[in-house]
Amino acid sequence: MLPGSRTSFKIQPHGLAPVPKGPKSSDKRNRNSQAFPCIPGELVLEEAARVRKIVRSRGGEGSVLGTLYCTNLRVSFVPEPALSDTVGAPRHPTCPHNEHDVVLPCIRRLVAVNSFTKAKMLTASSTLKFIPEELVLYCRDFRVLRFRFHESGLEPRAFQVTMAIAQAQQSSGGRPGTWPYSTAIRNLENVWLRTEEASLLSSFPTLLFEGLCDWEKELRRLGAAGWRVSSVNERFDMATSLPKYLWVPSRLLDNELKRAFAHFNARRIPRLCWHHPGGSNLLRAAGFHVDSDPEKEDVRCVEALMLAGHTQCVVVETAADLPGPADIQLSYLKLWTLCLPDSSVAVADEKWLSALEGTRWLDHVRACLRKASEVATLLEEKTCSVVLQESDDRDLNCLLASLVQILSDPHTRTQAGFQSLLQKEWVVAGHPFLQRLNLLRDNDREESPVFLLFLDCVWQLLQQFPTSFEYTEAYLVALHDSSYIPFFSTFLFNCQWERDRRNQHRASNQIYASVNGWREPPPLEILQKGSCLAKEGRVPYLPTIWDWALRYTAPERAQFRNPAYTRGSNTGNAILNGNCAPPGEDKPEATLARNGAMYLFAKGALLLQTHLFPWKNGSLSKKGWRQAPSSESLSEQEWSLRSKPSSCLLQPDGLLCPVSLGPLIRLWRRCYLRGSSEVQRGLFAPTLAELANELDLLRERLGDGQAMGSPRVTRHGSREPQPGAPEGKRSPLSPSR
Amino acid sequence: MLGKGAGGGGAKPAKPSFVSYVSPEEIHKKEPVEKEVNLHLLPGELLLCEASTVLKCIQEDGSNRGACGRLICTNFKIAFLGDESALDDEPEFKNKLIGENDITLHCVDHIYGVYDEKKKSLFGQLKKYPEKLIIYCKDLRVFTFCLRYTKEEEVKRIVSGIIHHSQTPKLLKRLFLFSYATAAPTNTDTQNQTVMFDAIKDWRDELERTKGNMKYKVVSVNEAYKVSEKLPLYFVVPMSLSEENILQYQGRGIPIWCWSCHNGASLLKMSAFPKEQEDSTSQMQKNFLDGVYRTINKPPYEVVKTDDLSNSLPSLQEIQTAYVRFKQLFLIDNSTDFWDSDVKWFSLLESTNWLEIVRRCLKKAIEVADYLEGQNTNVLLVEENASDLCCVVSSLVQVMMDSYYRTKLGFQSLIQKEWVIGGHCFLDRCNHLKQNDKEEAPVFLLFLDCVWQLVQQYPPAFEFTETYLTVLSDSLYIPIFSTFFFNSQHQKDTNMSGESHHAQSSHFRFLTVWDWSVQFEPKAQVLLNNPLYAEKPKLDKSQRKTTRCKHQRQLSLPLTQTKSSPKRGFFREETDHFIKNILGKRISKLINSSDELHNFTEFYDSWHCKPVDFHGLLLPHVEGPGIKVWAQRYLRWIPEAQLLGGGTVVTATKILDMMEEVQSLQKKMEEKHSQTVSQGREVLPVLRNSARLSSLFPFALLQRHSLKPVLPTSTWKDLEDEEDLAKRDDEFVDLGDVI
Repeated sequence: MLPGSRTSFKIQPHGLAPVPKGPKSSDKRNRNSQAFPCIPGELVLEEAARVRKIVRSRGGEGSVLGTLYCTNLRVSFVPEPALSDTVGAPRHPTCPHNEHDVVLPCIRRLVAVNSFTKAKMLTASSTLKFIPEELVLYCRDFRVLRFRFHESGLEPRAFQVTMAIAQAQQSSGGRPGTWPYSTAIRNLENVWLRTEEASLLSSFPTLLFEGLCDWEKELRRLGAAGWRVSSVNERFDMATSLPKYLWVPSRLLDNELKRAFAHFNARRIPRLCWHHPGGSNLLRAAGFHVDSDPEKEDVRCVEALMLAGHTQCVVVETAADLPGPADIQLSYLKLWTLCLPDSSVAVADEKWLSALEGTRWLDHVRACLRKASEVATLLEEKTCSVVLQESDDRDLNCLLASLVQILSDPHTRTQAGFQSLLQKEWVVAGHPFLQRLNLLRDNDREESPVFLLFLDCVWQLLQQFPTSFEYTEAYLVALHDSSYIPFFSTFLFNCQWERDRRNQHRASNQIYASVNGWREPPPLEILQKGSCLAKEGRVPYLPTIWDWALRYTAPERAQFRNPAYTRGSNTGNAILNGNCAPPGEDKPEATLARNGAMYLFAKGALLLQTHLFPWKNGSLSKKGWRQAPSSESLSEQEWSLRSKPSSCLLQPDGLLCPVSLGPLIRLWRRCYLRGSSEVQRGLFAPTLAELANELDLLRERLGDGQAMGSPRVTRHGSREPQPGAPEGKRSPLSPSR
Repeated sequence: MLGKGAGGGGAKPAKPSFVSYVSPEEIHKKEPVEKEVNLHLLPGELLLCEASTVLKCIQEDGSNRGACGRLICTNFKIAFLGDESALDDEPEFKNKLIGENDITLHCVDHIYGVYDEKKKSLFGQLKKYPEKLIIYCKDLRVFTFCLRYTKEEEVKRIVSGIIHHSQTPKLLKRLFLFSYATAAPTNTDTQNQTVMFDAIKDWRDELERTKGNMKYKVVSVNEAYKVSEKLPLYFVVPMSLSEENILQYQGRGIPIWCWSCHNGASLLKMSAFPKEQEDSTSQMQKNFLDGVYRTINKPPYEVVKTDDLSNSLPSLQEIQTAYVRFKQLFLIDNSTDFWDSDVKWFSLLESTNWLEIVRRCLKKAIEVADYLEGQNTNVLLVEENASDLCCVVSSLVQVMMDSYYRTKLGFQSLIQKEWVIGGHCFLDRCNHLKQNDKEEAPVFLLFLDCVWQLVQQYPPAFEFTETYLTVLSDSLYIPIFSTFFFNSQHQKDTNMSGESHHAQSSHFRFLTVWDWSVQFEPKAQVLLNNPLYAEKPKLDKSQRKTTRCKHQRQLSLPLTQTKSSPKRGFFREETDHFIKNILGKRISKLINSSDELHNFTEFYDSWHCKPVDFHGLLLPHVEGPGIKVWAQRYLRWIPEAQLLGGGTVVTATKILDMMEEVQSLQKKMEEKHSQTVSQGREVLPVLRNSARLSSLFPFALLQRHSLKPVLPTSTWKDLEDEEDLAKRDDEFVDLGDVI
């Protein structure tokens, strides 16, 4: 939770104005809503007055009196007016990240406590046989909310609200077609359209990679001249889980390309993720399909795809060193339990460290960082194509591909670049967010916080390279929290195909069901043509998570910006803008004709393959990946993990080389330990931001007052005084010295 | 060559004449030995032996890469002088006394020799000389010197010399401290603002400052150390205590004042009586304590809570064991070790028990703070000599409760008061003389580690940085400053004056570590100050009084609840309890710990509920995730642990830069407003090169090369034909041009 969110849930007067009478809204609904500020479309199911929210879990002290609401979207607690300060900044009507609120999918466990019986965990089907005295909500964002029911004859209320929460929690969006959120989303969008004018929406232009032009734009930025955007999957008839558009080598025609699909699991063929300015290419692909026939003629296409114009291709077995989704889930649950600010499960202080080690979460983080930096080094030092291969290409490939790019490409360390990266490698690439986050609770077995693991890795980088990132820890925390809020399209679908179907469906409904005061949705054709047309002023249909203005106030968003960020030099961008000729362009025929060399990279070792593809041996088993007979000793071939100083000089803006040693991989306190009493204060962050503001302000004043000719203080060459950015300006603070 | 002559003695260490070199008169007779340009000797420093063509291995990874040069042993340090001239970029944070490749003799922890790839600890006389010398330092550096290319004669000389001078027991008089003090020019005045507590006035001022002068008085009975050699010349006791009482048991059983809380409650310490076998003696002691208690029980003193630290805190032995194990995690002479340990890092860390000891000390301090602040009770800390854990707890309590001690000067005064003058046996605890290993225990380091936990949890509350603490911990081993090289004030005084056999040496003066300019240039000293320190707003007296009153009103509440029993009666109980403790018939731990736990959690929790006041009481987080490893001290020499991005170091430097810029701009604004514009003169602050700092800053330089995993090139080259190679060359050119 961001600081400054103390205020109670407030609504701007116009926020309630266009309440549509949805199919579910009834008079009963508005019974309580004078007290409770519903989001349009929200429905209060049950309420209980005079409930005490325990503010601190330990000591039992401190409670806030108020009313507990259970709606079809969330559980919300509204403190009594006496306690809520009225001077705070008005909150957005639509931000459910209030400290007293929790959206239903974010509740992991619901426990009712009675002093006579033991605590009982509640599900929709369970029957509560006692009057609860206390209700404990264990949230997935590492919070614990405790509500104590007053002993003043409110027992039936307590019972009802508890059961209502239990049921609402379980059934929240059980059937994706009719989930209650659809109404809310529609209304949210309305609010959003209004805020659009005021918001700095355009400040972080995020490429959504839903339309062709985003792909082309990004390809131009990378300067990958030997590549083109293929629309072979535009109608999702090649592979449903792949995005509409793919980056493939220019010389491969769509006809040839089509033959490659069958050789890969779920038809996810190798395609470009990132192009290194030095010529290397990063590709990702699913594992080879079991039934693919190596004798077939079209294996040549597979070869061409994987070699991507190079003579050497390194296949990185993603799963070899990294934990699987099941491992991640297991250690996440352990971590979650460990970090909960709940004294009943607390580990003794002196055993805390080994308990932390026992979760293996930090091990996983370390493994990801290490593997990513190995791959990044490979890309940097060799000219080859690196293919990340995971059997289904939808989990750790997303993580690894994006992590490698963050290490290698300064652009991804800006907020716009990072958001585009997430769109490209996660959202559109088909990371099954719906299953992994399990927002709809339809299948617990598929749940796995791969995305959180990724955010943790990025956080580690942020710690190690505080000046290299435009965004801050607060941004990552906000991103993490937002992933549990099912209002936005970004994390609600498993792949682009699903998303498009939903949008089409909803869009067509919308056209006929438009209500007074509603904005006409963009016609279907525009949606399908992608965001090229949308440039002029249109936006993707469902609100995405990137519309931060929707949920976070301006001061909160100001915290997303890292004041210590030193922008990369322009020369660095020039490289990325494609001044380097890609390799193999000169003699594509020659390189293709000669079969290239294939290496396998797994478990920190680089092995030459005798056969380009395993099935050429006639064997599909692992035996096919035989180690190359070589005159060299094994030790020479092995990729030594011990770091030796290499000749390459450190580039401030180039490759980041993170350290993954035990003492330096740390716990993301601000995210995991937020519920505990520990002060959630960045070591230097607030002060640094204040100083930066002060500096800007002073510069500006000085700039205004002085004549043009007088020299300005521009020590930080990159950060020229920018008069036009008045946001977040504060009155001068007096430095302490 | 004189140096060689002395070294020749080193080769035959059996000769007793060997140790006579230190005699300070000799120094004056002998000409300074430095004929080499590089070698910089301090006044009084004497070259003892040297060896040339020694290879200093940069990283112990099997390869013999490193710098070639001379290895030198003086009576102050072991130094390595590289043949190649030093890099142009001088480290910004340079110690003037100890260079990058210097190890003071007291800083040497262990010496190992490598024989045929086997590592053996070196001590005493050697039959066979190793090919490699590995020196582990107490400040956690590790040096590996390869002697393979050195002449055998020189190897013998240097190895036995180093072992002899750093590992064998020494006499106090042979400390370099004395040679230096004699030889160094006596700079007449150093503007030292730290209160040294060696004068009666300092104690009076302190009583005045803490408003303790109503109930306590400074006594000078110990002038000329009549009472005890362990006690300082002046100390503070309760007003009603008579001189005879103090004299009776050489200061044992006497409550000595440490500090008074704003509400009047005081922190006292007392050295316990040793366990007596005879009943009659113990009976007499019991009676004495009864008497003492009766006298100090008279009204202004009220209730006293006694706390026998030997019951509730780990023993010195435990502390030493834990630290030895803990330190082992960071003494890396082989980088693969480091990689191996990282999977089990946390459980290794936990098994050392060091962090747990830190936590227990902090908890104890919180408990004491609870009694003082929360319950308005005096606290009496009892320990065998009241000079080990007593110092840790009492100074921690004062740092936590009194914001004055969080300033640099205040903190230094505190160390003077509680440790140096208070009689902490630095000489024994640091084992500077190598006379008795059993007495060694890093008590002071434990204290610094505890303070570090506070500093990193509440950076704005402290005027100094963690770098300051790290540098302070390093200064423990620099035998130029007298601060950490005596067991007591008495020992220092006697060794300084008449007793010493050179008649005219009484004029010499020891340096104190608090004079930071001896070690660091002003530019480097900036790094010791916290730019984010939230300075205390100046309050005028009336305001101050009102706040104090408010405090007391709040505090009186729990007091009336808990202490409703008549004070006399309560006190009797306390006394009995207390006496049992003192006489060694220890009360069971259970009772002690259970009531401690109860009180302390409530106080702790309620404090943490409120917003932090950086100038008020400060309680550290002591939960599992709250206690951390002092990374700067323990990881700073490990190149593998270098964060290329810089981590918090870069952020802190950035802040420093910005502060300076803000200040300069503000100054400009003022100038502009006052219309005294001097356009020609642009005062720009000193530029700091903040772009290229790694997390090892300011101690080790940024490794210019990145530590990337190395690709196996041989496999590739076989397969790349010339065409490809040529192409790659082109690309390199391209890249280079663009960059």
